[in-house]
Amino acid sequence: MVSSSNAGASSARSLADVLASHRVVVTVGSGGVGKTTTAAALALHAASEGRRVLCLTIDPARRLANSLGLDEMTVDEQEVPASLFERYGLEPRGQLYAMMLDTKRTFDALVGQYASSPDVRERILGNRIYQYVAGSLAGTQEYMAMEKLHAVRQDPRWDLIVLDTPPTSNALDFLDAPERLVDAIDSPAIRWFLQAFEGAGKFSFNLVGKGAAFLLRSLGKFTGTGFLEQVAEFVTGINDLFGGFRERAAEVSGALRSPEVAFVVVTSPAPLAIQEAIFFSDRLREAGMRRDAIVLNGVHELLPEPQAPTRELEAALRRVEPGLEPERVVDGMRRALEDERLQGVADRIESERLHHRVGDEVLLVQVPALEEDVHDLGGLARIAAHLVTPTERARA
Amino acid sequence: MPSLLDHRFLFVVGKGGVGKTTVAASLGLAAARKGKRTLVAMVNAKERLSSLYECPPITDKITNVAPNLDAVNMTPAAALEEYGMMILKVRTLYQAVFENRFVRAFLRGTPGIEAWAMLGKAYFHAMGHGPEGRGDYDLVILDAPATGHGLEMLRVPQVIVDVAPPGLLRREAERALSLFRDPQRAGCVVVTLPEGMPAHETLELHEALTKDLAMPVPALVVNQLLPKLFESGERPLLEALPAKLDEGSPIASLAKAGRIRALREGVQETSLALLRSIDAPRVTLPRLFEPELGRAHVESLSRAFD
Repeated sequence: MVSSSNAGASSARSLADVLASHRVVVTVGSGGVGKTTTAAALALHAASEGRRVLCLTIDPARRLANSLGLDEMTVDEQEVPASLFERYGLEPRGQLYAMMLDTKRTFDALVGQYASSPDVRERILGNRIYQYVAGSLAGTQEYMAMEKLHAVRQDPRWDLIVLDTPPTSNALDFLDAPERLVDAIDSPAIRWFLQAFEGAGKFSFNLVGKGAAFLLRSLGKFTGTGFLEQVAEFVTGINDLFGGFRERAAEVSGALRSPEVAFVVVTSPAPLAIQEAIFFSDRLREAGMRRDAIVLNGVHELLPEPQAPTRELEAALRRVEPGLEPERVVDGMRRALEDERLQGVADRIESERLHHRVGDEVLLVQVPALEEDVHDLGGLARIAAHLVTPTERARA
Repeated sequence: MPSLLDHRFLFVVGKGGVGKTTVAASLGLAAARKGKRTLVAMVNAKERLSSLYECPPITDKITNVAPNLDAVNMTPAAALEEYGMMILKVRTLYQAVFENRFVRAFLRGTPGIEAWAMLGKAYFHAMGHGPEGRGDYDLVILDAPATGHGLEMLRVPQVIVDVAPPGLLRREAERALSLFRDPQRAGCVVVTLPEGMPAHETLELHEALTKDLAMPVPALVVNQLLPKLFESGERPLLEALPAKLDEGSPIASLAKAGRIRALREGVQETSLALLRSIDAPRVTLPRLFEPELGRAHVESLSRAFD
């Protein structure tokens, strides 16, 4: 591995090293690049190396659950049975658990844990804005993923947690999530806003002066009467909930920068995905985070063109497979090969572009395009084998 | 049912990486060609539309990109400003309220407000003011964020209707909702790929759209369809072929490509069968083996919507 003075540079030679030397591995990336599968394959590898692993995913496809031998992912941890490892010739030296993040439940649990009194707890849980926000609105999912991570990290049952983050077009949303939530609820604006709001009652325009009263009335015209009060109740509740929330978010944020946390950026060779990966990687560096590895999924092999004349190719096919019509099938295979080669060339260009941009200090791992979808533990194990192979550049 | 391009408002939805923007761009060209004044709106996206249309970058200011066809990349800040102006009417009043430092921070912190401002703006362009109004466009095509976040955005009007007390905000959300749920005027164009995982997820997405959100789905677009090179009877033989060859066989790479293709065509067939359970007119777009798509490609894809 090329050494580098850059902060956040990885010294790992392969993803196996990354897994071995961290307690938390976070996969990040845009949607549709095989991020969840990569997370699961990494978790599987670590488990077969003797670690006690929790793979925490966000709303995974049922197929992933199935490939781990589970009927479906649940919000409670489930163990992948040792017998399943054996069936695929894997040694279950460690343990593998899988769990799905439930945003609403995680939020509810936080409320239960941190509310200053049962009364406050009930008021928050009963607030209509909370009921929607906790479950479904943008941003909370990212934040709750971080919260959950924080919670399971303290759990001694696991010595490795692989966290699959929500796919987002705004890449690193979840990294800012703790700060953003703090800004939203603990800013001068909100404190000002809360001043105008007396506990569970109405806005008191007296407290905020004429200018502010005008602002609130205008806003109220926009939102309808009562809405601002509901928002204020929600915000007051959340404020109570977290008390020293700023410290807590700082803790979560700080934890993400700790040396026991590794980041793996997952991407595919599609130009758009590569652009995202570069953006991700830059953002991680700016944020002072580690960039331990980039996984490039689904790289097409550059198959050579056949050298022999067509007549010979047809004859060769006829010899091994008389059941296929040689002229038609050789022609079809030629077209298939052309498509593959176009894809292979494009993938090479994109992979070079990525390498050029991120340089040698980040481990770049290529996983070849798979012929078939992953549908069982064996498939995940095959991906894992590609993932943990030291890269050529690292070997050099 | 009206034909796809006769709608007033179309959301383009689907999992990340299935080609939503390409479909939105193609729909836009097809509608404009039909004489519809059309707006393609992106939601604070890392904008790719300009490379498809081969035009200068598309910003939060509406730009003309072809005859009858405009495009915009909405940002929460600009959308909120326009939306606020629309409601408060007077600029000085707007500035006093919405540009107040505190109000600004408050609005940023209120969940859903940004999504609503962008949806509301797009809605306004289609429908203008008033119950039966017409906006500046015959058709607005909104390129939605990928699945999870896209659904969250589509859910916002209902949340507002449920949570907000009677008033302007709620009235606007109700109007938008009645448009979005009207199969005569609006719907979600669901985009997918003929591949295993995307097909499965599309079934779930379709259910969430039609059942949870009660939104019509006037078209299912299957993008990147591979031309069929082999018959289903040939596929098992092709799949087994590479293993049968001697080392150094002259057809080694051909056989490998043939096996890969046969497997993919098999997956494609299964996925298409799976997608048949979705009750919506289907449009297929061919897979183009191009590193980067441009105007000519989108033009040719757009013919599928004529």
